[in-house]
Amino acid sequence: MSYQTLLDAVIKGDIKTAKEETLKAVDASQNAQDILDQGLIEAMNVVGDNFSKGAIFVPQMLRSAKTMQECVEVLKPHFQENAMTTKGNIVLGTVKGDLHDIGKNLVGMMLEGAGFNIIDLGVDVAPEVFVDKIKEANADVLGMSALLSTTMPSMSLTIKALADLGLRDTVKVIIGGAPVTRKYAEDIGADSYASDAGAAVHETKKLLNIT
Amino acid sequence: MKPGPIPTFQPRLKVLNRRQALAIHTAALEILEKIGIKMEHAESLDMLAGAGGKVFDKDWIRLPDYLAEEALRSAPRQIALYDQLGNKTMPLVDENPFYGTGSDTTFTLDLETGERRRCILADTGNFAKLVDGLENISFAMSMGNPEDVSKVDYIYVYAFAEMVKNTNKPIVFIADRGEDIAKIYEIACMVAGGEDQLRQKPFLLNYSEAISPLRFPAHVMDRLIFCARKGIPICLPSGSNAGGGAPVTLAGAMAMGIAENLAGLIVHQLAAKGAPFLFGPNVSALDMKSAVVSYGCPEWSLTQAALADMRDEIYGLPIWSFAGASDSKVVDAQAGAEAMFSIITAMLSRCNLIHDNGYIEYGSTSSLEMVTIANELVAMARFFTHGIPVNETTLALDALERIKNAGPQSFFLMDDHTFENFEQALFLPKLLDRSRYDAWEAEGSKDLYTRSNEEAKRILSEHQVTPKDDGVLKEIADLLKGL
Repeated sequence: MSYQTLLDAVIKGDIKTAKEETLKAVDASQNAQDILDQGLIEAMNVVGDNFSKGAIFVPQMLRSAKTMQECVEVLKPHFQENAMTTKGNIVLGTVKGDLHDIGKNLVGMMLEGAGFNIIDLGVDVAPEVFVDKIKEANADVLGMSALLSTTMPSMSLTIKALADLGLRDTVKVIIGGAPVTRKYAEDIGADSYASDAGAAVHETKKLLNIT
Repeated sequence: MKPGPIPTFQPRLKVLNRRQALAIHTAALEILEKIGIKMEHAESLDMLAGAGGKVFDKDWIRLPDYLAEEALRSAPRQIALYDQLGNKTMPLVDENPFYGTGSDTTFTLDLETGERRRCILADTGNFAKLVDGLENISFAMSMGNPEDVSKVDYIYVYAFAEMVKNTNKPIVFIADRGEDIAKIYEIACMVAGGEDQLRQKPFLLNYSEAISPLRFPAHVMDRLIFCARKGIPICLPSGSNAGGGAPVTLAGAMAMGIAENLAGLIVHQLAAKGAPFLFGPNVSALDMKSAVVSYGCPEWSLTQAALADMRDEIYGLPIWSFAGASDSKVVDAQAGAEAMFSIITAMLSRCNLIHDNGYIEYGSTSSLEMVTIANELVAMARFFTHGIPVNETTLALDALERIKNAGPQSFFLMDDHTFENFEQALFLPKLLDRSRYDAWEAEGSKDLYTRSNEEAKRILSEHQVTPKDDGVLKEIADLLKGL
């Protein structure tokens, strides 16, 4: 079955049509995982590329992401025993002392659109809170954000806390935010750095060897 | 009766009519009364509740109209900032515009190599010294978050001390919480010669930020109340940027930013009636591709011009604003174009305290060259804003008659009227180049970036900052050692 109409609807951010098309595919006995992978995530790949190229604006990208989320809600009951497979679990948050979250939210939406499961801890997240959640969720990736150069050191403290508990090798760490640089990421022993939300998706896929 | 002199019209920009101004103000009051704010500071929440606010959902509170109206009545109409030598150099009132630098950039352009690198404490000193030597830049801010301070918890104390050492102009400073602002206040008292002297002639103003939408963190309110009680002037803009912290439409972003400012003002006036408060939110635009808050956009210039109109129509309080900044990564044509756009419109709309001059890269990078260029652009804007004086001397019919009568060998350039008036009559650029091609080429074919780099270097090597008393410097050094 072709998902072209569904793809077009997600790319356009046409929530109503996208949900109808998702239901149609379910009624036609399509596999829910296929609808997710070949319809919704495929559409978001196109959206992500368009955004990276500068062909569309942030609100258009987010509308597509919202469309996808609503379609996933439609799909959820049709997965057998919660068997929905995602590309990985990502724990995300703005570091301790920092209350800014627009950039972090943007990264979360983009990663979710790319097929990852996002566990967003919000803002002002202490190292031990990150660590606990990484253990609990068996996270593949930790994403940390900071807007202020004064709160950046908390990223390093979190990485240290992971190392102290012997967890450093179980999770990939990626950082970002206005004052963060690739050099800083290297200095504190993060695995990667992303300069914007589009780059965050690209770098995360690279870290997990997802093509 | 002999007619008096012809008054000079000084060009003035208006962007709102009275109905627009009132509608935005009414919307701001409605936000406070119906939607409310999230006040995470227990003492402030108690004060607001005691004054008539209605608490809901733990730390949310709705504020009746009259609280804002009362706060607007008790806040002073003028904030006079003094330099560190005790001269009143910045009367923030009515139509007086003053330009200065910004704070907290992560990077700076290295003056020697041109490289973009992390800021260090010496950069903050250099920016302050440059400000001290530039005639049209009236106040200093740190321009950087230095990475080489020994205790990052006290980064703003080090930055403040560094500024005090390198300029005598007024300082707009940042602090993090109650603890470090108290240290900064101690240093300020050392410079002024005591608490009373500082209160009489404040040379500093605190810049603090609430968080849009509608959120007032505890450590921010600690600073606000500290400043109110000590009589330190303060402003409390939030990041009500269109499409980011606030609605994407400018009227809605302004209404929300003003509501946040009014909420801050209410707490401020409840803490200390009559304490000085500089009004105004930062309403820029979030770029819809990069999601950066733009510093070169026309939106911010438009919203602060609108705020100046609202000051005149409603608030009467001096306002906080920005100019002379850019989103460009280098000091190039984009940087010049964006800087001039905000500098001239800020002056034409009579903004009062105008910061961020010298920012590039949407405020992530500072540039000594850019500050030097802004100094010249402010001079240009000031010339334009002075208008055209019309009187017997400037109409110059005498000069014309002299030239006509003197015959074909005579010309205006050699006439006494030109000699006597040209310095006031014309704008005489220093940094902007008007030399003839061959002369420009002979001088090394330098562009504005190169010339401003050389000028910044010259000022830093030649300008003498009137030194502080040795005893004061020792007191400051001891305080820093004790952190």
